[in-house]
Amino acid sequence: MGNGTPVGNTIRRLRFERGEMTQQALADACGVTRQTVIALEAGRYAPSLELAFRIAHALGARIEDVFQWNVEP
Amino acid sequence: MPRHRAGFAGLAVVAAVATWLLLAGPDRVLGIDAGNAGVFLLMAVGWGSLYAISRIPDGGLGETMSPGEWRAWLGLAFTLVIAAYSLVHAPVFQGPPLWHNPDANRVGRNVVMLLVAWMILARVLDARWRRGVRQDERDREIEARGAGAARLALVVILVGYAVLLSFSPTERLDWAVPPLIGHLLIVALVVSCAFEYLVIGFGYWRDRR
Repeated sequence: MGNGTPVGNTIRRLRFERGEMTQQALADACGVTRQTVIALEAGRYAPSLELAFRIAHALGARIEDVFQWNVEP
Repeated sequence: MPRHRAGFAGLAVVAAVATWLLLAGPDRVLGIDAGNAGVFLLMAVGWGSLYAISRIPDGGLGETMSPGEWRAWLGLAFTLVIAAYSLVHAPVFQGPPLWHNPDANRVGRNVVMLLVAWMILARVLDARWRRGVRQDERDREIEARGAGAARLALVVILVGYAVLLSFSPTERLDWAVPPLIGHLLIVALVVSCAFEYLVIGFGYWRDRR
């Protein structure tokens, strides 16, 4: 069984669109470790609602533009 | 980089010799207590590792592994050594009461020295991340899974002890003197901690695989 999560995200794309923000800069802005940002971008970790809002805020985007639910209804 | 690798390989060899001295070596080497020599060598390896790690520039160490994962693998290594050392030397606790048992005191002293070496190493390693975030919600989730696994391991071991002591014929329990039972309970705690660190380390490894 894989360890992926059904919560997809566009963090990597948005980082590059926001002036090539580094993973470390995003991690510092959100109060997490860089390894958590790596796990998020790789789709191996689903963040809490609070962290999802922090990330969206740090990227200057709406939460639904950053995270998607990748399961067919 | 090859110099780093050669250095770490050398430290690994010294660590292997130290572990052998602690677990399976002769009682005395060149007139020195082998257990004390093993602990001393392990501490030297710890300090050598710290020096080598301090020479690696920022980013060279924490590229893939988070502080929590470093702590978990370090904790697993030390708890496994302590558990193995305690089990190998468990028979000394069948001797006279602890305050009249120099062998048991020596084992206890070496375990305490290992614990101190572990604490110092963990503190210094932690200092590498003093500027950044050292723990977040993902770390707490992984640690919670590890704590649950440790609780389960401890329950299984204690139930095993209880069944062994309750259902074995009395003549087969000559070995089960109170100091040894106490020692084995401590070993159970150490093994449950090792299990916790294993589950935590595996959780981090799986996340970055």
